Amino acid sequence: MIQVESVTRTFETPAGEFTAVRDVSFAVGAGRFVSLVGPSGCGKTTLLGMIAGLVPLSDGRIVLDGRALAGGVPPGIGYLFQRDALLPWKSALQNVALPLAIRGTPLAEARARATEWMRRVGLAGFEDYYPHQLSGGMRKRVSLATTLIYGPPVLLMDEPFSALDVQTRNLMENELLDLWADTRNTVLFVTHDLEEAIALSDEVIVLTAGPGRVKATYPIPLARPRNVVEIRFREEFARLYEQIWKDLRDEVQQSYAQSTRR
Amino acid sequence: MKSSRATRSRPGADRARLIAGRVVLFAAIIAAWELAARTHAVDPYFVSLPSKLSRTIAGWFASGFIYPHIVATIHEALVGLVVGIVGGVLVGVLFAFSPFVSGLLHPLIVMFNAMPRIALAPLFIVWLGIGLASKVAMVVSLVFFIVFFSTYAGLRDVDVNLINHVRVMGGTRRDLMRHVLLPSALTWIFASLRACVGFAVIGAIIGEYLGADRGIGWIVQYGESLFDSNMVLAGLIVLMAFVATLDGSLGWLERRFSHWKQKPL
Repeated sequence: MIQVESVTRTFETPAGEFTAVRDVSFAVGAGRFVSLVGPSGCGKTTLLGMIAGLVPLSDGRIVLDGRALAGGVPPGIGYLFQRDALLPWKSALQNVALPLAIRGTPLAEARARATEWMRRVGLAGFEDYYPHQLSGGMRKRVSLATTLIYGPPVLLMDEPFSALDVQTRNLMENELLDLWADTRNTVLFVTHDLEEAIALSDEVIVLTAGPGRVKATYPIPLARPRNVVEIRFREEFARLYEQIWKDLRDEVQQSYAQSTRR
Repeated sequence: MKSSRATRSRPGADRARLIAGRVVLFAAIIAAWELAARTHAVDPYFVSLPSKLSRTIAGWFASGFIYPHIVATIHEALVGLVVGIVGGVLVGVLFAFSPFVSGLLHPLIVMFNAMPRIALAPLFIVWLGIGLASKVAMVVSLVFFIVFFSTYAGLRDVDVNLINHVRVMGGTRRDLMRHVLLPSALTWIFASLRACVGFAVIGAIIGEYLGADRGIGWIVQYGESLFDSNMVLAGLIVLMAFVATLDGSLGWLERRFSHWKQKPL
C-alpha cells in the first residue's frame, strides 16, 4: 500500500523557486493497479521519484506498507523507468540476475531464476545478447523481468511504454497485465495516455497542470482479465474515457498555455 | 560506411587495394628520400640515406647493441605507466566520491597540469639522479593526469538513470561501484590508455635525452652530440616502430574489453 500525504516538492532554479507538486494526497491500496495521468510537466515523475526515495520531499510524508519514508531508498520497490536503465556492459541475463546477485543469491540459482524470467517475458534464447543488440520492445521486456524478479511489493512505472510503437506497446500492456495477474504487486503507473491508463487500471488519478495537485479520482470498474486492445471497443470504456477526458482536457490546455507563455 | 562503390566491389578487394596503396606510397617516399640524398639534392650529412639507416639499424640488432637500450626505455615507461595509472585511478575515485577533497585539491591539480613537463625534466634529474627514478617521475607526471581526468570524468558522467536503477533494486554503494561506476569509468580509462602509452614512452625518452646513460633517448642524444644524423634518425625509427607495436597491441586489448559496445556503422 502506498500512502501519499500532503506531499509538496519545490526546486531551486535560476529563475526562482519552482513547485513541481503541491499538497498531493492519494493512496494506492495493496495489490491495486492505479494510474496517474496528467499533462506534461505536472510532476508525475517527481512523485514517483519521491515514493522511490530518490527525490527528497519538501513537505508532507509518504508511507509504504505502514512504514514512513525516512530518507534513502525503501526496500521492496520496483521501478520501471521511462528510459532504459539496463546496464550496457551486462548481457540480458546478467541484467535480469543483478538484483539477485546484489541480494547475495548463489550464482547458479540467480542464473536459473533469471533464465526462467527471460522465458516468462518471451525472450528465451536472448540471454547472452547485450542491450544494444535488442530492440526497444525487447529491452523493455528485459527491464520488466529485472524489476519483477525480486518480487517487489510496490511497483512504480514511469511511462514505460511511451517510446514503443503502438503494436508493440499494446502487446507489452497485455503481457504486463498477464504477469501482474500472478505477481499482484501494488502498481502505480504514470502515463499521459488516458486510454492506456483506463485499459490497465483499477483506478485513475487525474493531476492538474503544474504544480500538480490531485484533480479527481475515478474507479475503473471494468472486469478482468482484460485485453487492452479489445476493451477499448466497449461502451463502458468510451463512457469512462469521455468522463475523465473532460477533466483532463482543461489541464492539458492550461499546461500547453503555460509552456507557450514561457 | 556503405558507399555505392563498396556494393560493386567486394570489401576484401577494397581492403587489398588500400594496403597496396599504402605500400606504394611508403615505397615512393623512401625512394624519393634515397634518390634526393644520392643525387645530393639534399645533403646526406643531414638526412642520411634510407639504405644506410637500414644497415645501421640491422647492425644494432645483429650486434645486440640496441637491446639494453630498448629494455631500459621499456622499463622506465612501464614502471611510470603502472604508477601513473594506479595513482590516477585512485585520485580520480577519491575526487569523484569526496566533494571536499576535490574542492580542496582541484586548484593544485590544475596548476601542476598546466606546468610544461619538459621544463620539469631537468629538475627531476637534479632531484632523482640520472637513473631510473627521474625517468619514472617524468612518465608519471604525464600519465597520472591523463588517467586522473579520464577516471574522474568517467565516474561523474555515469548515467544517473543507471545509478537510480541499481539503487532502487537494493544496491549499496559497493554494488554501485562494482556494477555501474567502475565499468563505466573503465571504458574511459581504456580510451585514455592508448594516449598514455604514447606519453609514457615520450616521457621516458625526454628523461633519457636530458640525462641518462642508456635508453633510446640516450642514443638520439648521443648521436646528436656526435653530429651523427644517421644515428639520430636510426634511433628515432626504432622508437617509432616500438611505439607503433605497443599501440597496436593496446588497440587489440581495447577491442577485447569493449565487446558489449555497439559497433559504429
